[in-house]
Amino acid sequence: MSFFKRRQKTEFEGGGLVLFREVQEAMKAEKVLNRGGYVVRLVAPPPELRRGCDLAVEINLVEQPGIERVLEEKDVDYLLITPLRTGTSEILEIVKVTDFGQWLMVKAGNMKLTFDKESGEIVNTSGGGCPDIPVMHATLIGKALDEAPRPKDIGFTLCSLMLDRALEESIALKEGGK
Amino acid sequence: MLLIAGTVPYEDFPLTAGTVRDEGEFLSVNGRSFSRTQGTGAMIGAALAATSYLKLEEPQAVIAGDTGHGKGSREIYEYLSQNVTRLSPEVLALHYWLPDMALTRQLCNAIKKCEKRPVMIADAASMYSAKAAGLATEFDIFTPDATEMAFLADPDATHPAYINKHLFNADITRTPELVRTAYQNKDAARLLLVKGATDYIARDGEIIATVSQPDVPELEAIGGTGDTITGLVSAFVYAGLEPDEAAIIAARANRTAGKLAQATPATRVSQVIDHFPAVFSENLCQWSGVCFVKGENDDD
Repeated sequence: MSFFKRRQKTEFEGGGLVLFREVQEAMKAEKVLNRGGYVVRLVAPPPELRRGCDLAVEINLVEQPGIERVLEEKDVDYLLITPLRTGTSEILEIVKVTDFGQWLMVKAGNMKLTFDKESGEIVNTSGGGCPDIPVMHATLIGKALDEAPRPKDIGFTLCSLMLDRALEESIALKEGGK
Repeated sequence: MLLIAGTVPYEDFPLTAGTVRDEGEFLSVNGRSFSRTQGTGAMIGAALAATSYLKLEEPQAVIAGDTGHGKGSREIYEYLSQNVTRLSPEVLALHYWLPDMALTRQLCNAIKKCEKRPVMIADAASMYSAKAAGLATEFDIFTPDATEMAFLADPDATHPAYINKHLFNADITRTPELVRTAYQNKDAARLLLVKGATDYIARDGEIIATVSQPDVPELEAIGGTGDTITGLVSAFVYAGLEPDEAAIIAARANRTAGKLAQATPATRVSQVIDHFPAVFSENLCQWSGVCFVKGENDDD
């Protein structure tokens, strides 16, 4: 038995790819994302997803909003972020609305935001399961729709992105209601 | 042991493992307090309410602060993978964390080494990572809401944000169809409790029960009321109920607590949790056959 047995590393399964025009940008992305605390790896994109150059960065797809923010802040030029599974649908854009009388609940994907129709105050958020969602819950409740921070700006996960869609639609509904 | 694992929404909250204590508005583990708000806190709060009422050992918890960066989540995955055989829980309930397919696979492999396999329950993002990694059949109970049920039925989605829009548009009445699809694709746990206007309990692809009363639609808007159902299911399974029975009673109890709390969309989940003891006292004997002689369940 070796005294220097390596600790077995867990293989990374991210489920998402960042695609680039230039190889240098992919390498720069890997570096800035690693520095930002993200677990990523350089990979060759499968032929059916290949656009631009032959190098991509595999990411945990759930972290897409936070990763997009880091790439933009660090001026990394990328083409797009896409799920690794080719049959995956586009990101959800549609919302559903439930009228509770005094309140409206707007549902986007797995996230729901409820506001007071008269005052525009956010009274609840629900759904989801990613670690930034309870933070959003505590941050948004009690704030007016148009004064609340945008989850896509302060959150890190696809759950936050869905909550942002719900907030965006809620703002439009409130303004339309005026 | 009922072991619950998940993140809490604090930046500086280190990985903490131990017995859950009730501190009124807050809960604590090893002297570190956290709120009974949406997420793991609400789930643990509900589970503790049930174990306290049933005079069972308090839940054990493995929690870590994580505001979305994933560091606390990864610490939980690693801790569980390294310690689950030693801890040997009877019930392991996984909850909020950053979904990570590889780390979920590592954990499932570690669980296979347990002398006695725990009852495995997943909700929230731990359910997302189990399904995305193709590990759903390793679990005994999933507790999705209607959108998450559509996610389980979409073979290509690795997160509910990417589900097919036709599945997202599916009315709750199409739940039986989505359930069958998820089972056919092996993307469902042995038992599903689908939370919605009507709660569906499904086993092996078939709906075996529904719960729709009392009807408190406002619960859907209240952050954490899905988490409380999962906490109750976990505690009732730990108490010895069969998973389907635990699911039915959890759904009934959650609705009844919402009714007692006179829930509106602005209600907080802690207000619902506070009504669980009264719900149990009034109904649990009749619902489950778990009965106490008067006075036996009093503290003094």
